[in-house]
Amino acid sequence: METKIGVFLCNCGGAIKNIDFDAVVKNVAEFPGVTCVNLSSNLCLEEGKEKMISCIKGENIEKVVVAACSPEFQEHIFREVLEKAGLNGHLLSMANIREQCSWAHDGDVTVKAVELVKMAINRVRLLQPVEKKELPVNREVLVVGGGFSAINTALQLSRVGLRTTILEKETALGDGPRELESFYGFDTGSVISAVEGDENIEVLTSAQMMTVEGKIGDFSVRIRKNGEEILRKYGAIVLATGYQTELALDSELKSGLNIMSQEQFCRMLGNSSLETEPKSIGFMFDFSDENSRFPTLATLNNALTAKKKWGSEIYIFYKSVKVDSEGMEKLYQEARDCGVVFLKSEVPPRITVEDGLVNIKAKDVFLGEDIILACDVLVAEELYLPAEETGNLSSLLNIRRDSGGFYQDENVHLYPVGSERKGIFFIGGCRGDLDLGRVLTDISSVVMNVYELLSSGKIMVEIERVKADPQKCVACLTCIRVCPHGAIQLVRVDSGKEVAGISDLACYACGICAAICPAKAIKFQGYGDDEILAQIEALGESLHGRNVAFCCEHSAYPAADLAGKLSLHYPENLRIIQVPCAGQVDVFHILKALEKGAAAVLVLGCEDGACHHITGNTRAKERVKYCDMLLKEVKEESRPVAMFNLSPNAPHKFVRAVNEITKRIEESGR
Amino acid sequence: MIIAERKPMEEIMRMLAPYKKVLVAGCGTCVTVCWVGGEKEVAILASELKLARSAEGNEIVTLEATVERQCEREMVAEIKDKVAEVEAVLSLACGSGVQTMAEMFEDKPVFPAVNTTFIGMPEKEGLWVEMCGACGDCFLDRTGGICPVVRCAKGLLNGPCGGTRKGGKCEIDPEKDCAWVLIYRRLEKQGRLDLMRNYYPPKNYRAVKRPGKVQAAKA
Repeated sequence: METKIGVFLCNCGGAIKNIDFDAVVKNVAEFPGVTCVNLSSNLCLEEGKEKMISCIKGENIEKVVVAACSPEFQEHIFREVLEKAGLNGHLLSMANIREQCSWAHDGDVTVKAVELVKMAINRVRLLQPVEKKELPVNREVLVVGGGFSAINTALQLSRVGLRTTILEKETALGDGPRELESFYGFDTGSVISAVEGDENIEVLTSAQMMTVEGKIGDFSVRIRKNGEEILRKYGAIVLATGYQTELALDSELKSGLNIMSQEQFCRMLGNSSLETEPKSIGFMFDFSDENSRFPTLATLNNALTAKKKWGSEIYIFYKSVKVDSEGMEKLYQEARDCGVVFLKSEVPPRITVEDGLVNIKAKDVFLGEDIILACDVLVAEELYLPAEETGNLSSLLNIRRDSGGFYQDENVHLYPVGSERKGIFFIGGCRGDLDLGRVLTDISSVVMNVYELLSSGKIMVEIERVKADPQKCVACLTCIRVCPHGAIQLVRVDSGKEVAGISDLACYACGICAAICPAKAIKFQGYGDDEILAQIEALGESLHGRNVAFCCEHSAYPAADLAGKLSLHYPENLRIIQVPCAGQVDVFHILKALEKGAAAVLVLGCEDGACHHITGNTRAKERVKYCDMLLKEVKEESRPVAMFNLSPNAPHKFVRAVNEITKRIEESGR
Repeated sequence: MIIAERKPMEEIMRMLAPYKKVLVAGCGTCVTVCWVGGEKEVAILASELKLARSAEGNEIVTLEATVERQCEREMVAEIKDKVAEVEAVLSLACGSGVQTMAEMFEDKPVFPAVNTTFIGMPEKEGLWVEMCGACGDCFLDRTGGICPVVRCAKGLLNGPCGGTRKGGKCEIDPEKDCAWVLIYRRLEKQGRLDLMRNYYPPKNYRAVKRPGKVQAAKA
């Protein structure tokens, strides 16, 4: 028996003017499976919703199409309506006849509205319910690192009732930013004893992480300690592995008696039995990295301390001082007031050592002259670098690093302390040059995140929204290699066969795996090949001369909505298909659209380096390039395929992209 | 695993020029894994074919089917009904699969859509490298499990040529590793460097008897 589909149209209180709704109703009613078509003017208000519920119940509607505003605003509300009417919320498909139809074009757009509704009807027919389920999660947390951030995170996690293991590679805890201990007034000793006395915290020193398997809620970590391997289970992993510094010196110079690091200088400052106090001290910072935060703080603090303690002459060579940390401005002012001399130079000074003195030669920007100073001691510039094990751990955990080698990919969509994998977090120095205030913020936000995820011991998730069919999966491992969120691993099914298993807990439902699967074994509920094809086929012959745009729901789709709201008009022949990520669009989808008659195909995704799913937009670009090559092969290059990157707040860019493709078609003379 | 590459479209189009209805047949094993002949590629190729022929004004009808292993008669037999409907078959399987298909349906022309290139493994996502030349006389016991026959550009059996580049790269292609540097390091790790002193006479390629035939020892 044919599925009963209910279509609910809304004219948005009269805000949709250029659509002849009676004609739409008449046209849509004849579509196979459509049991009822209702027109409302306030579908999203209580009255409208109630009518919708009673209609669904009264007519025994099985699946629902809502043709109204953008799903961006109201889809979740209509899903709730379906649930209230006793249907699964996923049996809904929306036709965006307001932002992307009525408001986007001048004149009557009834034809387009009918087509959009038909696309939604064809799609909804294939939708299946997605159930929700509570899955158990392990409540224990692993904190890697034994410094300030790690210890304090463990203490706070313990305070909210989560058992924590601290995994430290050194023999003891408490390795912190020594060069700033005096400034921040750390009392490492008491914190360590608090950890030791805490029943909720287990400390594993001289221990190393060997392998990590699993996903959020269920990580299996193999740890080597004292030559033995132990297997432990955790719900979340927090990395607080800190940083290391390296002196930025010419190769012929070495740190020694009179050229030293901040840490060595601190030891000198603390040495009460120093034979001779240095009379003149030079500092250098900020030449290699203008945004250095920790090195700047350390320089200012140590220079001031030395000035106060020894009364030495102090010269600080710098390129630019940025005082963006708490207390830094004050420190800088105080240093100046005490007579510390700041010398600005565009290039790093030349350093030579002669007769036990360090000669510092620099061109002062303000004097416009060369300055040569002979100092007793030079505290050389320090580079702030990720800790040595950062690379190794990132490959163990399958997480990306930024261009400087620190944790966290340079992607605006990643939460500051979050990785691209659910349940793996970063804190403090291991993710960049942060001052204490920022580290404390990191700790609090990670503790809050972890608490939210694990405290109840279970997480409610949608089940099998993206699923690999064990019959079709050939275990080629492609999806496991490409999943940006580390959500897929090989699992053994009942038959004993190993297949791709997608974790409902770790999956973000981006569809990158479904698009790339060479066996077409991965089914993505709502956005699978069939659902996309159904939308293309809904247009039938009328697809000829139309342009199809696959729009990422995070960027291009809202940008198109915004274009409608701002009445930025674009050609009416555009048919938008919403996808969860541009990386979900495959060569196959593009070719199918062309094969069925589309004049051009656009793939629109997030800006470079800003994909919600890390690699989705770059994959889309490669696929579009490949498609372009295929079209050239078959001498169909007059039907353009193009990829554009844009952000959700870039409606003008969206319109430019659509216009550009239209222009290209016109130029090709089709 | 057997690795293959898609043939240029022009060549495929030439093969299929006389036909109006073809079956595009994929294989669900090796060529699926190397992204060239699985269900996805079948769909892409079928679509591309239709586009190409429609541009020529010479429409083509395509059927699609992917069997688990095209080199098995029993599995190929499963799609006999579809084959009966078409004038020709375009197979995306390796050479062995194409021939099995051709043998099973002798009255139909069966065309290869891919070039079978080598036996290899994935180096990373989407990149496959040659590991085995199927020479019929395995040498790997002497070389730390690294095959100089295919991984050395010159197939040398007695250490590297004089052209090894800095960093252990090959003189023919600086992107590739010198197999003999890899072999040396592997043997060193295993404490078996003495193997490097052995001299191996030129390989007897007559071991490769064409056409090859392997009879399992047990029935």
